[in-house]
Amino acid sequence: MLNSQTAESVIDHALSLGADFAELFVEKNETNVVSTLSDEVQSVESGINFGIGLRLVYGTKVLYGYTNKTDQDELLRIASVLAAKDLRDPVSTLKSFNFNQISDIHPARKILSVDAEIESKVAYLMAADRAARAAGEQISQTRGSCMQREQHVEIFNSEGLHTNDRRNYIRSSLTAIASDAGEQATGSWNDGGLLGWEIEAGINPQHTGEEAARQALVNLTAKPCPSGRMPVIIGNGFGGVIFHEACGHLLETTSVAKKASVFHDQLGEMIASSIVNAVDDGTMANEWGSINIDDEGMPTQRTQLIKDGQLTNFLVDRIGAQQTGFARSGSGRRESYKFAPASRMRNTFIEPGDAKMDDMIASIDKGIYASHMGGGSVQPGTGEFNFAVTEGYYIENGKIQYPVKAATLISTGPKVLKEISMIGQDFSLACGMCGSISGAVPTTVGQATLKVDDILVGGNA
Amino acid sequence: MSTSPVKTANLTTTQMAEQVLDQVMSAGATGDLIVDEGETLSLKACDGELEEYKVSSSRIFGLRVIKNGHIGTAYSEAVDADALGSMVGQALNNASFGKVESHENILPNSEHLKTDDELLCPQEQVSIEQKIEMALEIERKLTAKDKVKNVPYNGVQDITSQRQIFSSAGLNALTRSRMCASYAYALVEDGEKNAMQGSSQVSRLFSGLSASTIIDKTYDKCIGLLDGKPVPSKHYDVIFDTECQVSAFAVFAMMFSGKAAKDGINPMRDKIGSVIADSRLTIYDHPLNVDGFGYHLFDAEGTATEKTELVIDGCLQTLIHNSATASYFDTKTTGHASRGPRSTLGVNLHQVEIARGSEDLSALHSGEYLELTDLTGLHSGANAISGNFSFGASGYLCKDGERIQAVRAITVAGNFYEMLNKISMIGNQQNWNEGRSALMPSIRFSDVAISG
Repeated sequence: MLNSQTAESVIDHALSLGADFAELFVEKNETNVVSTLSDEVQSVESGINFGIGLRLVYGTKVLYGYTNKTDQDELLRIASVLAAKDLRDPVSTLKSFNFNQISDIHPARKILSVDAEIESKVAYLMAADRAARAAGEQISQTRGSCMQREQHVEIFNSEGLHTNDRRNYIRSSLTAIASDAGEQATGSWNDGGLLGWEIEAGINPQHTGEEAARQALVNLTAKPCPSGRMPVIIGNGFGGVIFHEACGHLLETTSVAKKASVFHDQLGEMIASSIVNAVDDGTMANEWGSINIDDEGMPTQRTQLIKDGQLTNFLVDRIGAQQTGFARSGSGRRESYKFAPASRMRNTFIEPGDAKMDDMIASIDKGIYASHMGGGSVQPGTGEFNFAVTEGYYIENGKIQYPVKAATLISTGPKVLKEISMIGQDFSLACGMCGSISGAVPTTVGQATLKVDDILVGGNA
Repeated sequence: MSTSPVKTANLTTTQMAEQVLDQVMSAGATGDLIVDEGETLSLKACDGELEEYKVSSSRIFGLRVIKNGHIGTAYSEAVDADALGSMVGQALNNASFGKVESHENILPNSEHLKTDDELLCPQEQVSIEQKIEMALEIERKLTAKDKVKNVPYNGVQDITSQRQIFSSAGLNALTRSRMCASYAYALVEDGEKNAMQGSSQVSRLFSGLSASTIIDKTYDKCIGLLDGKPVPSKHYDVIFDTECQVSAFAVFAMMFSGKAAKDGINPMRDKIGSVIADSRLTIYDHPLNVDGFGYHLFDAEGTATEKTELVIDGCLQTLIHNSATASYFDTKTTGHASRGPRSTLGVNLHQVEIARGSEDLSALHSGEYLELTDLTGLHSGANAISGNFSFGASGYLCKDGERIQAVRAITVAGNFYEMLNKISMIGNQQNWNEGRSALMPSIRFSDVAISG
């Protein structure tokens, strides 16, 4: 996408201004979104994002600029503007570019640049809508979406790196709205992956529609949630957002290097219950949070974060490695050329255990089963997190009693990790978007159903 | 869909826009084009040194076409001939899949509109060194304070943005604005206790920013909550601080959306003319208040804005509309059309203002109440359709205006639409939030569920 000679001139120029390291991140990103409202196409939107990010590093200081233009003069100008306050004699020289053709471990077939397959996506969403509305008369509406993106990146740096990658993202979702006597409730289901529209063969519109409708109908009858400290069973799949928020963000060198994470000095320490094993893995074939290379050009890895409760690794990008001394983990990610990369999660999950669901329920006198979770957030410095329960049930005397609504779970990362007492066998993954310092990136969360012995439930009962 | 390439070399934005819209009309369609451009300087400091220095320039074209009643949109950040020609082709192709939207049309508006640069985009003599010094000063002086471990998130920004809207009817609208901002989040520690809080400020001019204000406000918030602990679970009177209150209203702003009403998901759809809130609550949208950053002279369709009465004495007066939702409900647009280069036509509030009430601080702060100064999980803990919410919260247990205990690790939960009928008092002073996007007095809500 960018002429190698132009890249060489710009990086040469940056190094002549005294930078220790210079990098160009070139991105072209084509997106198509099909949206439906019940049984009608609401809109089809498409577009192209294109730009170049230039990063100069002086010591641990990062200078970053970006532009939509590709001409050499503009890139040289940005380099000069960035370096204006840090000019010094050259300390590095450009090593010759050595183009590295990566091996694509996430192949895709039905990609956007070949065919947006709009008719097929509309047919899928219409089928999901029919399935949802057939689930009950109270399903008043559905909102469907199918997003496909093809991102081309090309990376050059002053160490001679020249590589590129093509990432194909697909994600479809359906939200069902149930209405009754002035009350409204919602339920949703989504699928996604790092592949093309061939995902259609592995997903089922009937299941998508029925599951979204089932949640909406359950929530329509839900009672206000009891509040207070109590044991909580957290469902599989997107329930893994608890680990993502409670621990994952705190293991990124973005916060570790600044000592803005409660875990920054805990490597080798027992930070979780001994039954907890946690992983961040960018190599899982065609998963939503996977990558071939990170946005600094490094091949991705599988990183064991916690082993038998002991903290074993952090997620490390280039600057994080420089600041902490830990080896890079292929975790330097960014939303687009508009962001400098930072250490970020990929597919992050707690590995399955051997507990049975029935035993978990039976072990609780008064508590909550949070079968589906919404999003959440964390304060890395203190470890305080919150996340929303989108489908939950009150448990009493070892039995599920009734559905509850409007519940939030809050605690701190260090505390909740030690409160995990049972981990089930029904491991699954779910996709989401994670927002942080380098923008919103696709990430997968996952776990089997697990039990936390003590957590604050915020309800309205 | 084939289109002839737009020739863009050495053309101005207006000339490129004209060529794009010529292509649209040649294809038998109408359309409008939004061109957003911006320049940003962003600075961050760490350990007494500049940690990040970011400059950027950006431009994006976003096209909406209407052909035979079908709507299509497309955008491009590349502005060469092929890219803009492809954008036109994609928009026309996308339109072919949509249903007929008989209510959505390009307004017959051929005005040339321009906002006042001196008002919205003032310039000043300020050097880059001064901006860098402010970023360093905030981080250095905060870090030097007692118990502050570090200031992991901080920065100074100077952002200039420009939007042009062109339409096939001849609309040519230009607005240019500038926003300078600074912010800091500090981590304080004292033994096993810690707290992390932050604050921000905005101004049209860099000289309007104050490092000491950010330093003092951030430090006070951190120290104030350091000893925070939960309070017993029960129902309390609650006063949200201005930041939290504006955030809560923003989460449920869909209640005023004509677009959401058209789509069948706005619970207020059939309540115009009905009492939906306490009789002392009056809410406006006031885009012409120049003191705020929500100031808008015209909306995304080029319709002139005006002060809109949303709720008067607890009674819902209107929903907000663009021309399409207005046509659907057989009413007039309220000047609330919104559209970004990447999005379809929608509606948005510009600058919410809640009218001042009658209670002075001593009345508002009488007896026991919780002052909530931090809410978490706003993006995930609320359902704007049902009104149900559950947020993490921090703040202070207060009595007669005195903060008697810092409070953390609690949740606040309820139904926002029901809460509007549980207003105990409304203060007689209005305050801007930090981003100067809304102007509100303090509201005291009664009987709010708190879990600790």
